[in-house]
Amino acid sequence: MSRLAATDHKQTAAKIAVASIFFFLLSGLLALTMRAELAQPGLQFVSDHTYDELFTMHGSGMIYLFLTPAALGLGLYLVPLQVGASQIAAPRLALFGFWLYLCGGLTMYSGFLTNNGAGDDTWTATIPLSNSTGTPGMGMDLWVIGVALAVFGSLLIAITILLTILRHRAPGMTMLRLPVFSWTMLATTFMVVGSFPVLVVAMGLLLAERHLGGVFTGSTGSIVYQHLFWFYGHPVVYVMFFPFVGAVGEAVATFSRKRFFGYRALVVSLLFFTALSMAVWGHHMFITGAVKNQYYSLTSSLLAVPAGIEYLDLIGTMIGGAIVLRAPMLFALGFIAQFLIGVLTGIIVASPPLDDHVTGTYFIVAHFHYTLFAGSLFGLLAGVHYWFPKATGAMLRERLAKASFWVLVLGANLTFFPMFFLGYDGMPRRVADYEPRLGDLNLLSSIGAGVIAIGVLMVLANLVVSLRRREPAGDDPWGAQTLEWWTSSPPPEHNFERPLPQITSHAPLLDLREHEEEVRERRVEVPA
Amino acid sequence: MTGGPRAGGGPLLAWSSIMIALGLMLAIWSGGEAAALLFLVGPVPLLLLAAWSRLRPAPGGPRLLARVSIPVVVVAIGVALAAIGLTGGLWLVLVGAEVGVFGLVWLIVEIRSERRRAGG
Repeated sequence: MSRLAATDHKQTAAKIAVASIFFFLLSGLLALTMRAELAQPGLQFVSDHTYDELFTMHGSGMIYLFLTPAALGLGLYLVPLQVGASQIAAPRLALFGFWLYLCGGLTMYSGFLTNNGAGDDTWTATIPLSNSTGTPGMGMDLWVIGVALAVFGSLLIAITILLTILRHRAPGMTMLRLPVFSWTMLATTFMVVGSFPVLVVAMGLLLAERHLGGVFTGSTGSIVYQHLFWFYGHPVVYVMFFPFVGAVGEAVATFSRKRFFGYRALVVSLLFFTALSMAVWGHHMFITGAVKNQYYSLTSSLLAVPAGIEYLDLIGTMIGGAIVLRAPMLFALGFIAQFLIGVLTGIIVASPPLDDHVTGTYFIVAHFHYTLFAGSLFGLLAGVHYWFPKATGAMLRERLAKASFWVLVLGANLTFFPMFFLGYDGMPRRVADYEPRLGDLNLLSSIGAGVIAIGVLMVLANLVVSLRRREPAGDDPWGAQTLEWWTSSPPPEHNFERPLPQITSHAPLLDLREHEEEVRERRVEVPA
Repeated sequence: MTGGPRAGGGPLLAWSSIMIALGLMLAIWSGGEAAALLFLVGPVPLLLLAAWSRLRPAPGGPRLLARVSIPVVVVAIGVALAAIGLTGGLWLVLVGAEVGVFGLVWLIVEIRSERRRAGG
């Protein structure tokens, strides 16, 4: 019980990591079942209704219970260490948030135990499909309550991270000296605090609609719900993206043996990116004709500008650097290359006439899986491989890590690239059956899903083996640049046992090394 | 955006200003679409947090805090049970509320004893 109720931010983050991996595996299993069903045209294993449950719980699980909490968990562990704080602000609030998230996740999945099954109205629960006539039964109620609890829990965790950055920075750690990852976490918490409460309210209203009626009724009821949902639904995509950009940024700078390029440009671009990301939700409603398409098209297209700046910063950091291709760097490069495909296809979706052709098809599925799986998950894995030695004091097996990277790259592209063609050819998403002419590409995609499963198992095996047969990591195995590498691995209860170095930039350990080098060179020069 | 730990409001102010500008742009372009009001949802809580952070000084060193806080877990489970009760029935709402209140009282006792220890 002591571990389950520990208030230390590192232990709360570890609990989030374990829970999110659990929900990832559960939701991944549902995806594998779906891909097995879709390997051939016709219905093989599951009914239409079961298929609806599978894709609803897969999407909900991955977004509400895996990627969002994993991103926040990473921040909860690292931000206090990076800003030189001995504790997180409001540790009990973070613990409370974790438990709400866990209870929410279990509540969502418990729908499978009810008579009508789990929620089956997609991860967006669009009205009128999700009202009591469209989706009767307790399973959908549990889904709504579970989502509200999990999202509220995530909101509380984000508030503690935000307050830590605002109030617990070490002396000298000004806002323009925050490490890259902490800046991305700050931007993330802006979006969470700004948009998550709207979804909690929307879920409350949806539950009232299901039980009492009269909330989302009439010709505008569905539109009002969509506004509320997508005001959360689009920013959450960036909540599942920014922290991993930060993780990739740290890995790229460390393994390029260079200071992060264009730090101030990154900070400004992050602020614009977060604001713009909360101004694009209407592009999910282009097809309704109920939103100002020109406005949302403009804001959606403008997103390419800060995204481009971030890409330039990452590439600029590598140019002229002494690149070391360790496993975290490989995953970072995988993120950069594959997320680009998601960004470029996003330009197509941001344009109303092009979106009209592909909306509701597998093109959209391919697009967001390139951003969330081939992008964010690779970013998360870059972070996991980079900070695992710090969190555990043990090194991951390098060869196994590199092998798992290549298997995952193969699996991701084999699974999701054919979906662009399937969608363009008119295969609708969220269906268990399809025209026989689309069989070959679907089979390829299903084989890819199996390859992904192998890659995931290899990553898990690496974690287990490395923890059981430990190769000691030392305090700073990578020659990194930020404060978390100043302390022992794993860090002690109050994070730092020795005084912090002087903080004069966002890379204090690099400053220290450069200063020591300078002193050494002077000593050599004197006798000469 | 320079200075000590209390000077963290700059980015919040900058971000909130961009949000309000984007909201105004939508309101004018769409001829007063009500959805533009959503743009205020983000900045308002963030500005309130920034104001609170400015008014309340940040603690100097590590706070004396219980390493393990079981009452927090009890409150969370109470809240979750009460929420599930909205579909499971009034009895579950009442059980959840009872568990939650019990946890809350326990939490208050825990925090008070912490403060006493810190004071002593």
